[in-house]
Amino acid sequence: MSAVIAEHDDHHEHDDHAHGPEKGILRWIITTNHKDIGTLYLFFALAMFFVGGIMAMIIRAELFEPGMQFVQPQFFNSMTTMHALVMVFGAVMPAFVGLANWMIPMMIGAPDMALPRMNNMSFWVLVAGVLMLASTLFMEGGAPAGGWTLYPPLVLQTGKALPFAIFSVHLLGISSIMGAINIIATIFNMRAPGMTLMKMPLFVWTWLITAFLLIAVMPVFAGAVTMLLTDRFFGTSFFDAAGGGDPVLYQHIFWFFGHPEVYIMILPTFGVASTIIPVFARKPLFGYSSMVYATASIAFLSFIVWAHHMFTVGMPVAGELYFMYATMLIAIPTGVKVFNWTATMWKGAMTFETPMLFSIAFVVLFTIGGFTGLMMSIAPSDFQYHDTYFIVAHFHYTLVPASVFILMAAGYYWLPKWTGHMYNEKIGQLHFWLSTVSVNILFFPQHFLGLAGMPRRIPDYAVQFADWNMISSIGGFIFGASQLLFLYIVIDTIRGGTGEKVSDEVWEDAHKHGLEWTLPSPPPYHSFTTPPTIIPTEHI
Amino acid sequence: MALAEGTAHADYTLNLMKGVTKVSNDIYDLHMLILWICVIIGVGVFGTMFYSIYHHRKSKGHQAAQFHENTTVEIIWTIIPTLILIGMAIPATKTLLELEDVQDAEMSIKVTGWQWKWEYEYLDNGIHFFSSLDEASNKARQVGSGIDPRTVPHYLLNVDKPLVIPTKKKIRFLFTAADVLHSWWIPDLGWKKDAIPGFINEAWTSVDNPGTYRGQCTELCGKDHGFMPIVVIAMEQPEYDAWVKKTQEDAKKGADLSDQSHDELVSKGAAVYAKNCSTCHLPDGKGVPGAFPAITGSALVKGDINAQVSLVVNGKGAMPAFGKMLKADELAQVITYTRNALGNAVGDHVQPKAIQELLPKPSSAAAPKATPATVEKIEPMADMSKDDLLVLGKTIYNSNCSSCHQAEGQGNPPMFPALKGSAVVLGDINAQINLMLNGKGMMPGFGHSLKANEFAAVVSYTRNGLGNAVNDVVQPSVIQQLQAALPPEQNDD
Repeated sequence: MSAVIAEHDDHHEHDDHAHGPEKGILRWIITTNHKDIGTLYLFFALAMFFVGGIMAMIIRAELFEPGMQFVQPQFFNSMTTMHALVMVFGAVMPAFVGLANWMIPMMIGAPDMALPRMNNMSFWVLVAGVLMLASTLFMEGGAPAGGWTLYPPLVLQTGKALPFAIFSVHLLGISSIMGAINIIATIFNMRAPGMTLMKMPLFVWTWLITAFLLIAVMPVFAGAVTMLLTDRFFGTSFFDAAGGGDPVLYQHIFWFFGHPEVYIMILPTFGVASTIIPVFARKPLFGYSSMVYATASIAFLSFIVWAHHMFTVGMPVAGELYFMYATMLIAIPTGVKVFNWTATMWKGAMTFETPMLFSIAFVVLFTIGGFTGLMMSIAPSDFQYHDTYFIVAHFHYTLVPASVFILMAAGYYWLPKWTGHMYNEKIGQLHFWLSTVSVNILFFPQHFLGLAGMPRRIPDYAVQFADWNMISSIGGFIFGASQLLFLYIVIDTIRGGTGEKVSDEVWEDAHKHGLEWTLPSPPPYHSFTTPPTIIPTEHI
Repeated sequence: MALAEGTAHADYTLNLMKGVTKVSNDIYDLHMLILWICVIIGVGVFGTMFYSIYHHRKSKGHQAAQFHENTTVEIIWTIIPTLILIGMAIPATKTLLELEDVQDAEMSIKVTGWQWKWEYEYLDNGIHFFSSLDEASNKARQVGSGIDPRTVPHYLLNVDKPLVIPTKKKIRFLFTAADVLHSWWIPDLGWKKDAIPGFINEAWTSVDNPGTYRGQCTELCGKDHGFMPIVVIAMEQPEYDAWVKKTQEDAKKGADLSDQSHDELVSKGAAVYAKNCSTCHLPDGKGVPGAFPAITGSALVKGDINAQVSLVVNGKGAMPAFGKMLKADELAQVITYTRNALGNAVGDHVQPKAIQELLPKPSSAAAPKATPATVEKIEPMADMSKDDLLVLGKTIYNSNCSSCHQAEGQGNPPMFPALKGSAVVLGDINAQINLMLNGKGMMPGFGHSLKANEFAAVVSYTRNGLGNAVNDVVQPSVIQQLQAALPPEQNDD
């Protein structure tokens, strides 16, 4: 985003205290600026999206036909494990932290994040963590291959990679917690006068709640993997039945982290969707406060439903009933959200630029993921669905055409603001249509595969699953290739895009929807050195 | 989903199978109920949305309304979903309670998950076997096998020995695992259940009609997770009874204990290796560095044969105890094969008979119900040569005596006396046997814990190994008589 800097001196509408960025590469290493760090996070996430994507392509290539064609089963298991870890901890979570870094100070009328040095550190700790994780691919015994859930006893059979994977989880956890502390500190202390909590943009709200989830659960995960470490190297038996331990205990601890974790990846998504849809419907969000309460309810429920991931481990029937009922409840606040987005569109004056297209696709496809989630909350049915391709389809619907699509939407929505240039709308729409069609070719048939009896995490399958797998793989290849368009658009926009000079508000009447649109495009290096006085409330 | 169902090609399976049990049918009905509710809600929500997208667009000149917040609407769209959820929870609860009711089962089968095979034990009739991927699938599934999976019948869903159950009986399954987590799933039965080391899980089924039902392991359990299928054959009671009879008779036959030539052992061992060892140690014996040690050039394989036999029979870490899975002749063959093939050339071999002595006796494993009256008369054990006694004795010594008396018999005075040059060992053999049968002070009595042949072998070994050379031995049959006269074992529990 060199454009941000090159044109920075043109904007002297505030007290610029001659405190610009460093020159050259050092700028990116020692920067404490929220925009620079946001850019670093976003580029890092994009890079990891392609790394994780290559792993997905390897998986889909091996599954293209029955029989083992390309890789050994152990390597296949490493690919599914690493694909998940890289996508969750390297791509989706950092991308949302990148958005938070860029947007939260601009949305609440602050000059920067509250804790800029820690901001820098949390990014570089993330890089160290992901590099350490990636290095396990080249170790004796291969990368972790026990699934991203790292269930013992299997994960304890990992070769030399195990301690590295565990320490990388520690680093990723530290990074996330630092990021979360920073976001909470910024939101609580640096809002412009007049911006009460209930006037904050929903993206800020959803991130505030997400940050609390992160602080609550990352230490739990760190604790669980530390117990794996001592079980393997220091003779403890936390999870070893032969020593008096309990392998199921790990699953309880993991999912106490894991279920809020999946909401960590979806709540900011809700925030972005609630930001974009009103702008392109030219209508306020239907129910601002019910959106805030629904987000908080989902976050609360996420802590008390974890064992629905474990219906088949042999819980007492009372436990199964409780977790079934509690899980079903999540459908209510989630429904409120979907109804809200629909009601926001209703009787609007919609236009369909790329960010809106991705947001609408998100609402529809996320809802399909929600439906399958509801189906799986029914414990007896889950005895059939569990650990099959049905759940693979479910969580990919909630992650790819939901979280990832919204990240794309956010990219298209804010890139003109960040760079001062307009992206190429035609290529953007081509990217949207290719992605939306192919993502459904990729994941929808996986519902059928799961229902027909194909377990997940298998490198080869019985021939009756061949047809849908081939279709799914074809969808996967198209989807993977289509994302190169996004990379092209990002680079092209930074380098000038269509050449059209964008206005401050970029989108029609956007200034009514958020403070970021009152700043120049691109915004100055320090967003608001004096707090804004007029708080837009159109989003409420 | 409903749309795709109507248009897709008939060969492409789309929906959950109904299965063959009452529970699986209940689950199917539940699945369809929730699916249709979701489809209806989806049609309503998406219909509204697409109507709006079509009509309320700026390009058509639609003016944006500015309404927002409507408490009545918001209450309605909270209450209606709540009522729908209650409507779903009622049948779901009923089915779940039925699914979890394992009472009044008519027979029980214990299922143990292993990397990567299933072990089945019929608790009522003592039938016990392992079930793993069939050979044709196993050949075809190797990377670059060149075999088209479509030519293999039931590719990856076929096993060497299927589980056989009677129809119309409530069968209780008990699940556990020997190494890592596994999960046992036959879609036609309607459920899956995790097999967890150290834990026993329960589930039940009752199949109405005869048939063959196939499934797979559904909990990631390592590299061959995709290659441990499950096949259940349900038979009418008379056929099932016949199967039980035949299987029990086959089990009695046991291993062929006759001596085999060195070359015969090696050549037969190759097949045993391919079926049981090559998954981890690889077909060429190169292993997987960091996970599974190489056989080729292995210090253990090229070293003392007894140590290798002991490891293979008893297992260690990720290496399972093959003494429970293979017969003595197969073990002798595969051990001899590893020492003389795969790039190794130790030149020695081991005979089935020697292995048989080390194996756990089937009588202790089989259910007491099946053979209640066969223990009264003790068959005297066959005499063993001095060499056989010493070979077996060394193994027994290493696992029972060496932790105190040390590997070379030098002991650890003053706590543990040396056996090398010991007055007891060099003296009257009956005094030594008596001491070892009954114990004294720190020395435990081994009369109950060792089998007669093991006992005889270790006595003989201490007198003729460890630097001693008394040059006498005792035969198992003598020990048997002494053991029979011992007072019953004190039970500490």
